[in-house]
Amino acid sequence: MKIFINGQSAISPQETFTGNSLPDNPVNYSANGFIKCIEPSVREYIDPMTARRMSRIIRFGVCSAIQCLRNADAGNPGAIITGTGLGCLDDTEKFLRTMHNNEEKLLNPTPFIQSTHNTLSSAIAIIIGCNSYNSTYVHRGGSFENALTDAILLLRENSAENVLVGGVDELTDTSFNITSRLGFWKREPVESLRLLDYKGRGSLAGEGMTFFLLSNVKNERSFAVTEMPELFHKPADAAASEEKIRSFISRTCQEGSIDLVLMGLNGDISNDEIYHNLSGRLFSGIPRAYYKHLCGEYDTSSAFAMFIAAEIIRNQTVPRVMQLDGGPAGKIRNVLIYNHQRNNIHSLMLLSGC
Amino acid sequence: MEKLVQTLKEEIIEALNLVEMVPEDINEEAPLFVDGLGLDSIDALELTVLLEKKYGIKIKTAEEGKKILYSVKSMADCIIAGGKAWD
Repeated sequence: MKIFINGQSAISPQETFTGNSLPDNPVNYSANGFIKCIEPSVREYIDPMTARRMSRIIRFGVCSAIQCLRNADAGNPGAIITGTGLGCLDDTEKFLRTMHNNEEKLLNPTPFIQSTHNTLSSAIAIIIGCNSYNSTYVHRGGSFENALTDAILLLRENSAENVLVGGVDELTDTSFNITSRLGFWKREPVESLRLLDYKGRGSLAGEGMTFFLLSNVKNERSFAVTEMPELFHKPADAAASEEKIRSFISRTCQEGSIDLVLMGLNGDISNDEIYHNLSGRLFSGIPRAYYKHLCGEYDTSSAFAMFIAAEIIRNQTVPRVMQLDGGPAGKIRNVLIYNHQRNNIHSLMLLSGC
Repeated sequence: MEKLVQTLKEEIIEALNLVEMVPEDINEEAPLFVDGLGLDSIDALELTVLLEKKYGIKIKTAEEGKKILYSVKSMADCIIAGGKAWD
């Protein structure tokens, strides 16, 4: 059974939400280790009395989800599923800070209520009035892929005809400071679009709220097809990764039919070395592109990659700023997305035209 | 009293993140819940925390809460009658 993408929406550090879905002229940030999302006009999506209690990730997530449904021209979905690596961080931090400062007394209820990881899925359901299946997956760098897997299973079982699935993560000052101490991010200021030119340790922190309306029925809005994603953990060496990737490709498409590989290169030399090693072994002669200089590194950045891959298939073009070694010469039918975070969780997704 | 009412209005706007409002929008005699400002049970908890944290007023029962949190004026009356943090 084919699973179609009938609509999508992304709030990101690029103007992906305001109509420029495939950034031809992307925003180039002078970044001190992080880039943040461009704010949507929340008022157009959520009543101010409802929005006042929502933190940034919830407000932006709800906006992205509603816009996705509008883009798909769909009614209420048969399921709402989100993936998030760290959930509603800002509210969690507020709650913990108050608990510490007030010696565990007089805690404000709002940040506590909104700090759970499944707040966003629930908020979307309440706002659009959807009483169907509602779930949230929290598995660090594989959170979105797990949400996507659940969505595809539901559609294949015919438990739903349309599923709203998304990947969301927010960046806060506290989380940035903590992860900076762990050496995750570049210490020197960088130009985001030149991320790969800064050879050294650390990447660029980012965030994003991306949603898709998937369906088991093709309609006039369908523009891409997604396969079941695959995750593998801490491969022993490059040969183990190679075997997994070969196996995924042989399961999802014909040999030699991949037109583009979209990779999670993030500017950290130890991270990127893995992609470069595998490129020689597996992707010789296949055009490659990358995306994390546009959105930054975060647990569910693969959702942004899927958004970009689907737009590439829809528009049949790879923006120059994303190309690693030139774009595909012919028609772009199959795009392989390969991402990993610090060599822990590796993920593979395949998108095709429909 | 007038100063306290004004302060309370500002604190309510901040605590409940009523971004669209200014103190003049709140009628101190009007009910805070349902008909007036349209606040709900979570807001009631926020106001309970606000009263205890800023003015040392502890609301012990739901009935007491209904009376004290009825309006800005009833909150101010309660503070004047028994508040520790207000002179």
